[in-house]
Amino acid sequence: MNALTRILLGRLGGLVLTLFLASIVIFSTLLLTGDPIATLAGGAKPTPELIAQIRAEYHLDAPVWGRYWDWLTGVVQGHFGRSFVYKTDVMNLVAPRFGITLQLVILTVILILIFGVGSGILAATRGRVVDRTVGILTSLGMAAPTFVVAILLIWIFAQSLGWFPVFGAGDGFWDRLWHLFLPAVSLAVLFLAYISRVTRSSLIAQLHSEHVDTARVRGIPRQRIFATHVFRNASPQILAISGTTIAGLFAASAIAEVAFGLGGIGSLLVEAAARSDLPVVQILSLILVTIFVVLNAIADFISILIDPTSVVGGNRE
Amino acid sequence: MSAPVLEIADLDIFAPGIEGPRQLVFGSSLTVQRGQAVGLVGESGSGKTLTVRAVAGLLPEGFTTNGQIRIDGADLGTMAPRALRELRAHRLGMIFQTPRAHLNPLRSIGDFMIEALVHVAGAKPDAARAHAIELLAEVGISDPGRRMRQFPAELSGGLLQRVMIAATLAMDPDILLADEITTALDVTTQEEVMAVIADLRTHRELSLLFITHDLALAGSVCDRVNVMQHGRIVETLNAATMRQDATDEYTKLLMSAALDEAPPIAANDVESGPIMVIDDLFKTYQVRGATGAKEKLIAVDGVSMQLAPGGSLGIVGESGSGKSTTARVLLGLEHADSGTITVDGQDWSAPACRGSERRERAKIAQMVFQDPYQSLDRRQTIRQCLTEAIRVHRPKDAKTTVAARVSELMGQVRLDEALLDTRPRALSGGQRQRVAIARALAADPVLLVLDEAVSALDVTTQVEILTLLDTIRRDTGVALLMITHDLTVIRRLCDHVVVMRQGVIEERGTAADILDHPQAEYTKLLLDSIPREGWTPRRRRLGRTQALPTVTRSSIIPR
Amino acid sequence: MSVVQITNGKAPAVAKRAAQRDWLFIAALIVFGVIALAALLGPWIAPYDPYALSGEVNGAASPDHLFGTDDLGRDILSRVLVGAQASVFAPIAVVILSTVLGVAFALIGAWFGGWVSGTIARIIDVIFAIPGLVVAVLAVAMFGKGLVAPIVALSIAYIPVVARLSQTAASRELGKPYVAALRVQGVSSWAILLRHLLPAMVPIVAAQMAIGFGYSMLDLAAISFLGLGQQPPAPDWGSMISTGQAGITAGAPEQSVFPAILVVITVLAVGIIGARVTVWAEEKDA
Repeated sequence: MNALTRILLGRLGGLVLTLFLASIVIFSTLLLTGDPIATLAGGAKPTPELIAQIRAEYHLDAPVWGRYWDWLTGVVQGHFGRSFVYKTDVMNLVAPRFGITLQLVILTVILILIFGVGSGILAATRGRVVDRTVGILTSLGMAAPTFVVAILLIWIFAQSLGWFPVFGAGDGFWDRLWHLFLPAVSLAVLFLAYISRVTRSSLIAQLHSEHVDTARVRGIPRQRIFATHVFRNASPQILAISGTTIAGLFAASAIAEVAFGLGGIGSLLVEAAARSDLPVVQILSLILVTIFVVLNAIADFISILIDPTSVVGGNRE
Repeated sequence: MSAPVLEIADLDIFAPGIEGPRQLVFGSSLTVQRGQAVGLVGESGSGKTLTVRAVAGLLPEGFTTNGQIRIDGADLGTMAPRALRELRAHRLGMIFQTPRAHLNPLRSIGDFMIEALVHVAGAKPDAARAHAIELLAEVGISDPGRRMRQFPAELSGGLLQRVMIAATLAMDPDILLADEITTALDVTTQEEVMAVIADLRTHRELSLLFITHDLALAGSVCDRVNVMQHGRIVETLNAATMRQDATDEYTKLLMSAALDEAPPIAANDVESGPIMVIDDLFKTYQVRGATGAKEKLIAVDGVSMQLAPGGSLGIVGESGSGKSTTARVLLGLEHADSGTITVDGQDWSAPACRGSERRERAKIAQMVFQDPYQSLDRRQTIRQCLTEAIRVHRPKDAKTTVAARVSELMGQVRLDEALLDTRPRALSGGQRQRVAIARALAADPVLLVLDEAVSALDVTTQVEILTLLDTIRRDTGVALLMITHDLTVIRRLCDHVVVMRQGVIEERGTAADILDHPQAEYTKLLLDSIPREGWTPRRRRLGRTQALPTVTRSSIIPR
Repeated sequence: MSVVQITNGKAPAVAKRAAQRDWLFIAALIVFGVIALAALLGPWIAPYDPYALSGEVNGAASPDHLFGTDDLGRDILSRVLVGAQASVFAPIAVVILSTVLGVAFALIGAWFGGWVSGTIARIIDVIFAIPGLVVAVLAVAMFGKGLVAPIVALSIAYIPVVARLSQTAASRELGKPYVAALRVQGVSSWAILLRHLLPAMVPIVAAQMAIGFGYSMLDLAAISFLGLGQQPPAPDWGSMISTGQAGITAGAPEQSVFPAILVVITVLAVGIIGARVTVWAEEKDA
């Protein structure tokens, strides 16, 4: 097996280990809190029978490691446990909402890639004026968190222009798109600005590199230099950062979901946390962590494939 | 007679500055006729690189020029950008100092070679590929078809330089611009590369503008030599009669530094036992080769040597010879696999672990490193640096005693005490190295190890530092262990020499023996590769490569 | 060093740029200074009691109430001033905590190497794998709402960034020949650490702190916006923005918009300061 495969497999192993350890951390939150009994009883002082019933139902008496293992194996099989607050299977709560979050994230990613990477390319290649303009816009963008942009958009569109709805997720493809547009924009702005900056600086670093000098002296046409030498060489770095950013979007979407009243897993997470609904919090945390780790790993893998020399050695000097 | 291939007339180059443009090159003029090789020689800051970059159109942003540059009679200043690009692409070929940095690491050699042919000359890919293979063969690369598929990371510096040369030939240029192309190569590889260029010049009637700091090399390879200093060309000479014709002071200085044939230092007879004994030293590293597989690299393979007190031993070798590793093991920066090291009667075979042990050893042996800037903490003033070195061994001494010692040290390295409160950034390379030497002497050691201590300095500065070291040796009786790849350094400083190659000692003896009557094949080859009067580069073996993977230095804190 | 190397890559007209940049930097410093001052003195300079109900609900901006009144009739300006304390000082706590812990982790790892370094790397990986918001949510689920849980959570969540940065900086510095020279000289490891390594890391860590302040301010405000941070009726920019949302559609955007503008201005100012500090740190490294 060649070195590259070995490295990729190694990373895969690391990924699994990290997920495993993270799941332990997430599970421990149940242990470290106060008594869940109070939450489960719904505020009323619980009778001894009620306490016994709750203990039995949620296996609160079993030893810790056993509970963890049961939980983990259950999760992997799709048994997500029962919500403390809604008294129903967590799976029932999560399943319908996941789609909305996923659609929101996809729309956001499209915006980020087109405008973020696109503006970065423009800033790096179209001269000083464009660069300064993009620079100012990205500075502003990086100071505009999701909830601020959300408020601004709601203000503009609810008050003055009624172009987009500011609440709810809509039904059917076009309606959904129409409803998700503003939330996606509010999510995208901050990350888009960041990715624009990263793209710009990676490209500029390449533009100033010596191998590009060489290509210029040889008379290679500018378009080709940009595509094969500048952009291609900058792409592992841009990819790695984009990957991490996109991976984090699933969690960050919570803010947009709350602001725009979307029923996604983010807003569910927030609600559940506010009400100490631990099983829901745990499952959603686990889901978000898994998505984050997997997406990061994919970005990492792709960037290794583009530029194997970044990890495999071999400098013969 | 046709127009010269390259004509530079009264070229001024200005760098952008906070207070307005700063002039760096003043009225340079030179001419390269068809088929002629012209050298442009100077030390750092002379402006030679800027000049050639101006011709190639690679000046950094914001630089401006005055004067004229004509290629084949065409004035570059009057041409439209597109025509200029065409002209440069077809008439010029440029080769740089570090080929690795100039090749896209993500593209194969084949891609690189074919790119210009297809996208500039408009050749068809198949024809381009065939032509590329021919070119690789022409520069002496064996198995060119396989090389086309490889990536830059898999090839050595010498090979990459040949690839760059081959690539420039693709457009059949009229003139080759070579910017310090062999400075980063071993002297034997340097000879190979220069031989390749000499061949090409003969077969293709190629002109050459050769930038270098090595006057001897330029003199051997070029027809005419221009010497540049501080942005001005101070003298233009015929290479053949260069030595006799030189009138300018600076030129003469450079010449004496480069071509001096002073007799080697005589070895004294030794009465007492050796101050340092290395016996059967072994050191291996685990490295990742180009394929990613772990390989075992034998850096030092059963090496033994001795150094007399007050003597001066030189370890000579090219890259990968194990000379630096030996020095590092000696001073405890690396852990030997086996073998014994004895210094001043003490057993140093294992690195010192405890602080007190390290301090003891520090009093006996010290080291001066290659990079003058990086071997000083740039945040410290010189005074702080030296004081720290002194206080390690005399923590309780009064301030005045320490200050006196600082003055003493500055005097020993002939540095003006006014520099004590400056930081390394404000000093020249030579001055920094003197500080490093002073710092090493602070502990009053009996052995001073110099790891390529002058390799990063200008030639004229090298001579100064070497003279200084020799004086210090005679004054204080400290023994010197000089690690270097440069035999001229040996000539000026060492009385005994050990020649290493790939971890093994090829030959040992007094300097006189080694330099004037070498026995081993390798030593003869080394000596033969040094540019000197009447020397021409010769191709020894086709396609010879340095096939040694590198070692990534472990972090300094010992495991 | 050839002249080409010295100036290669740097833009021309450096002077003009530097002057412009300095003007911006000074402006940012002033803005941030004013806001920090307001945060410090908030309770004393607020025109009204931030909890007092004035009777005028959702009032527009007027000479009496410069920022208007909120949905319960409280003066927004006063609430913004008093809320500045939480919104500006909590991030400071996060930055200090995460920096101290992150640098400590990095140094311990670099010092001991081997399995210690490996374990620390693994711990950092796990922390990094859990998105900041999720850490905050977990903390709140465990410890309840309020400021404490988010501060602790974010401090932990930021450790990986600081640790990795410090580690890179530390490794790079330790790899330099002068450290080898110091060891050969017999200088003790402690002395190398304290006298050489830490001072070398200060610029980079300082730059990271400046940038981290901006990020943690945004994150904390977001957490408050979600209702998991500072709880009403205590004033807090994030929760004000959230509560004021309903008012926007009703034609009274002040409760949301004014704090939102302040968030943006503060983070913008901090961002400019952070960028400047980063440039300074890079120059120090040259």
